[in-house]
This record gives sequence, structure tokens and C-alpha cells, in this order.
Amino acid sequence: MSTNLTLAKARPRQQDHPLWFLVPALVVLVVFFFVPTLFNFVYAFTDWSSFKSAINFAGIDNFTSLFSNGTLLNSLKVTLVYAVLVALFQNAFGLGLALLLERDTRVNRAVRVAFFIPVIMSALAVGYIFQALLKPDGALNGILGALTGADVAIPWLGDTTWTIVVVAVVHAWKWMGLSMLIYLAGLKTINEDVLEAARLDGANRWTMFRAIRFPLLAPAVTFNVATALLGSMNGFDIVQATTEGGPGGTTELLNIFIFRTFGQGLFAQATTMSLVLFLLVTILAFPVIRFLRKREDVL
Amino acid sequence: MKKPFRYAPALVAAAALTLTACSDPGAGTGDTGPVDWPAQDADLSGTTLTVWAAQNSNTVPDSVIAGFEELTGAEVEVVTIPDPYEQGVQTKVATGDMPDLAFWQPTASQLTALNAKQHLQPLDDAPWLDAYKPELRDITGILDGTRYAALITTPAVEGVYYNKEVFAANGITETPADWDAFLQTARDLEGAGVTPFHEMAADRWGTQWWVQVQLADAAADGLWDRVNTREELFTDPTIQGAIDTYQGLIEEGLFNEDIKTATFEDQGAALLAGDAAMVVQVNSFFGQLQSLAETEELNRKIGFFPISPSGNTGTFIPDQSNALVAFKTGDADRESAARQLLSYWMGDGYEGFVNAQSTVSLQSDVETPADVPEALLSVSDSLGTAVGSMQASAIANPDLYLYLADMIQGTKTPAEVAEATQAQFDELAKAQGAEGF
Repeated sequence: MSTNLTLAKARPRQQDHPLWFLVPALVVLVVFFFVPTLFNFVYAFTDWSSFKSAINFAGIDNFTSLFSNGTLLNSLKVTLVYAVLVALFQNAFGLGLALLLERDTRVNRAVRVAFFIPVIMSALAVGYIFQALLKPDGALNGILGALTGADVAIPWLGDTTWTIVVVAVVHAWKWMGLSMLIYLAGLKTINEDVLEAARLDGANRWTMFRAIRFPLLAPAVTFNVATALLGSMNGFDIVQATTEGGPGGTTELLNIFIFRTFGQGLFAQATTMSLVLFLLVTILAFPVIRFLRKREDVL
Repeated sequence: MKKPFRYAPALVAAAALTLTACSDPGAGTGDTGPVDWPAQDADLSGTTLTVWAAQNSNTVPDSVIAGFEELTGAEVEVVTIPDPYEQGVQTKVATGDMPDLAFWQPTASQLTALNAKQHLQPLDDAPWLDAYKPELRDITGILDGTRYAALITTPAVEGVYYNKEVFAANGITETPADWDAFLQTARDLEGAGVTPFHEMAADRWGTQWWVQVQLADAAADGLWDRVNTREELFTDPTIQGAIDTYQGLIEEGLFNEDIKTATFEDQGAALLAGDAAMVVQVNSFFGQLQSLAETEELNRKIGFFPISPSGNTGTFIPDQSNALVAFKTGDADRESAARQLLSYWMGDGYEGFVNAQSTVSLQSDVETPADVPEALLSVSDSLGTAVGSMQASAIANPDLYLYLADMIQGTKTPAEVAEATQAQFDELAKAQGAEGF
């Protein structure tokens, strides 16, 4: 035993895990994460564009011209509205599905898989499929027409007020399987004794859900709301495939605006916008996660 | 772990090094002197050339490439860059990746966007230039007095495609000779219960033609030169007036009812079926019609006339399928081989090319094939007198179409369209270092 101890002393941690073992991982981290992020900050203060080869320092020029232009603020507003809508729908759908499919029957298992499939589908493919379904002469209007017996030609993706809701529902539809899975896992962790006690006290299903099960789901809610909210602020693919930011710019997320600006060859400005998006997500992430974690104190 | 930051100085040094290397990776070679043009049939065994093309132009070079490979022993590879093509190419070139040749819109704004002076081979003394029909030789492809693009097919012209049968059924025998007559024809047709115009605001990009054709006279008078130096703005009466007129015509009810949701495909189908009498569009619209009907039916049904405020002046807008640019790759042999391929394309290979493509010939000595539809011949006839579009003559290409589509959707007023366009134009011009911005 004493020999072992001496050995352990003679070979401190640093020797069996020398720090340079970290180098490969660190190189990957620096090259693919650290440097690009840093460049994202640096290029925002330059005049990098496709029009000339030199890159000069431009101070806060990009920021002033972006904020004096209404398009950026509009895109920020659209992005926030979109994120909130997606978070609402995705969690409502996910929680609903989890409660419906909670029991481990054979049918439920199969249905869970079915609802999870959209999560692993390509977002662009989902977008294009919904774009075809939601056209004025698309399948959805066809079905509605057959049911009502009248000719239905609702432009689901052509309304300057409601299209953002429709697109948020599509986004939520794609990701609701993931929320469902996490809520299912959350439901499984609830102690059966607690539920048993509630039943003995005569609680009905609704009271059980409202007073016991939902509060105990707090960690799952934290994860789902945070990922849905912050993830959809980085949304691009589904909206690009369905509306490309239209009609009338009402679904132009910041990422679509960035894509458009980059395509114009204004690389520095596009970088500035992605920096703004990064800051926005960061600023929003802290209070949201803090608030949600606070709810977990009941546990 | 007593010195957790032992490696920090090294890391900082590495990061600093990376940052000092923070220059444009696209920065390439400087200017070269005059170049030689190899004979079209010079041996090129062992040379591989890469041509970048878009999804709608990647089969265009097939016949030429087959002939060139046979003649010279070179290998030519066509690489399709996914849409949006221009953005894809710009991004690749900006990061230092370039082909030997690429399809490219030969306009001043797009050549600027590619940083032509830095990245493209000048084609000033190309051997085929004298073969062009004289009025087409210098129509486009030139930036600051240097030629960078080889025009291979007729540039698109913005003008009016009309349904001949609808015109005939309503007793219209002559096509309108100026803007007023054009609107009178539309109002007569509307009075007779026909939808005069079709627009596709859901796909957005076609909306700008209506504004641009109204600017044809001003363009002939140097409008875009003044816009390029900020002497005249989009918000000034000329361009603002064209936007207002467009909005007025829409409000007057001269357009299709589903203008907000109609797409490019709908537009072609509507004109062909006679649901609308006229469409202001460019050549790619005719391509769309060709996918819906045979040449015989198109000759019978569809005609084309250019329109401008004072008469029938067309507004030309070359696109990426009309021209090629050759890159300065830094490899002298491949640069020379790229020039040789262009010489062949516009030389011995040109007749085979226009026949294979059934397209209008740009050269006096090469006949246009007999199976080219009549409407396309009218388009090409109007080219000689056509004036440059915004894309062809302005130094930047703002998203005018997008703002006009917003106007049709009701989220922007005509005044806001002009303001947004001008603001974006200012940004692009400033990024180019244009004077006055």
C-alpha cells in the first residue's frame, strides 16, 4: 500500500496525462471554432467585400449603416416573433404528443417513431414539401375544398400577417418529435409514489397534471424551451424553402437577410449581422435559461 | 497543473500569427502584358480545363466541348455550381477557388462583383471580335474600357410578349408603337373583358422589368451614368415616377387578380392559354413557354415587341448563359488553353454551336438556324437599337425586384421602394469605392 502511494506521488497526474495530450483537440477547437468566431468579430469592423482585394479597417461603419437602415431592425423583429412562435408551438405539440403516447404499448411505440421521423429529415426537403402542400392550388386547399364542397384557394404562404405563423408551425412540426422524446423521458422520471399519493388524495387527471406532473417536468421544459427558442433564432432552411423571406419581407429572418447581403458581395456587412445575431442570442439566452432554471427549484 | 497557463503565450502567438495573415484569400496575381492567342487547333493533349456553369447553362457547351476535345486532345470538364449561381461563384472566387472559364453575366455590375481587373483575363484583342455583327460587338462585356467577357448568345431583352390570338380576337392588328398606345391597348382589352397584363409577384424577380422598360428613354440619355455618380437618385422623379406608374397600373386593375401569389410557371401558362394578353418579360420567359408548347404553336400564338415611353426601344439585360469569362489562374498554359477554347467556340465551332442550341447567331457569316422561333428573332432584331438595363449599365445591382414585390404585397409604398433601392445602391457603390458615395 505504501509502495503504491509512493508511486502515485512519484507520478503525479501531470505525467500520466501530460498537458500536450490536449493539443490535437485544442487544435481542432482553435481552428474550427475559436478562429472563425474571432474572425466573425474582426471582419465586422472591416470593409471586406467581393469588389476589391484589400481589406481595410472600417471602424463601426458597418454597425452605423446597418442600424440606420430599417431592414435590419425589421429582420430582428421577425426573428424574435418567429422564435417565440416556434417555441410555443413546438412545446405545445411535443408535450401533447408525449402525454398521448406516454404508455408503452406497441402502437404507441410505432407512433412515436412516426412522429420522430421529421426530426431526422432534411429541413430543406421539409420546406419544399410544405411549400407544395400550401400553394394556392396545393394539396391542403384541395382537401379543404373536397371537405367543404367549395373552391378553396387560400394563399397560406402569401399572407403578410399570418404566413409567419404558418411557417412557425411547419418548423415546430419538424422538431416536435424531439420535444416529445424529451418530455417522454421527463415523464418517466416522475416518481410513481408521488402520483400514487395524489391519486389516493383524490386528485383528478387535470389536477395531477397541473399540480404535480407539469411542475416536475421543469428540467425537460427548460431544455425544450431553450433549444426551441434559441435554435429557431438561427433558423434559415425551412423559411428559405417555403417563402424565401416573403411575402413582402414579413418572414425575412435575420439569417435570410445575411444570406442576401452575402450574395450581394457585402461580406463585411453580412459578418456584422451575424455578429449582431450572435449577441442577440447570447443576451436572450442568459435571462431565459436563468428563469427556466429557477422553475426547477421545486425539485 | 501548477502552471495552467504555460501554453497560453504559445496560443496567443499562434492566434496573432493567424490574424496577421488576415488578408483577402482571393487576392491573386497582378496585371499581365498583352497575350498571344493560340491557333484553334493547337495540340493540348494532357491539358484539363474546368468550366463552371449554372443548372440552366451546364449543357450549353456540350457540342462545342466535344468538337474541341476531338480537335485538340484537351479535356474539358463542366462543373455545375448550384443556384443561386452568382452567389456561389462569387463566394468561391472570394476564397481563392477559380475555374479556367465560367459562364457569367457580362454586365458592368457583375464584372465588378467578380473583381474582373484582379481575377479575369482581358480579351481585348480576341481574334473573333470582327466576326460579330457590328452593332453587337461592343454591346456588353466591357468594364472600364477593357473587355472581359465573350458574348456567345444574344442577350435577353426586356419587352412585351403577347398572345397573337387574343390580339386578333379583339381586333388589334398593329402592335403598340409607344407607351401611350401600349396602355390604350391594355385599357381596350380590359374593356372587352380580357386581363391585359400578367405579373408574378410570388416569384418576385420579374417585377423589375416594368420599371426598367419605362426608363429606356432616360437610359439612352445617360440615366445610369448619372445614377453611378450619385448625380441622380432612385428617389428622383424619373425612377420614382416609373415605380409610381407601375403601382398605378396595378391599382387600376390591369393585372391578373392573383398577382400576389402568381408564379413564373403561372405566367407562362396564362399567356399561352390567353388568360392574359401581355407579359413584360425577358428571354428566359420564352424558354418557359418552350417547355409548354412546340415551336409551331408558339409561332402561331406568341409574339414580341419592345416598348419604351417614346417608341419601341428594347432594354437589354445579358444573363449568365449569354457569356463566358476566362480566369487568371496563374497557370500560363491553362490560361492560354482557355483562350484557345474561346477562339474555337466563337470561331470554327460557332456554327455547330448555334445549330445545336437552335439559337440566334451573333456573327454575320454564320446563319441563324431555321428552327429558331419567330418571337426570339424579334427579340434579337430589337437588340441593335436596345439600351442597357440597370444590370447592364449601373455599377451595382440592388434588389429593386424584391422591393417592388414588397410593394405589390402591400408592405412598402412606392416611395419606400425607391428609398430602399437607393440605400442599398449606396452601400454597394461605397463597398466598390465608387466616387461620390
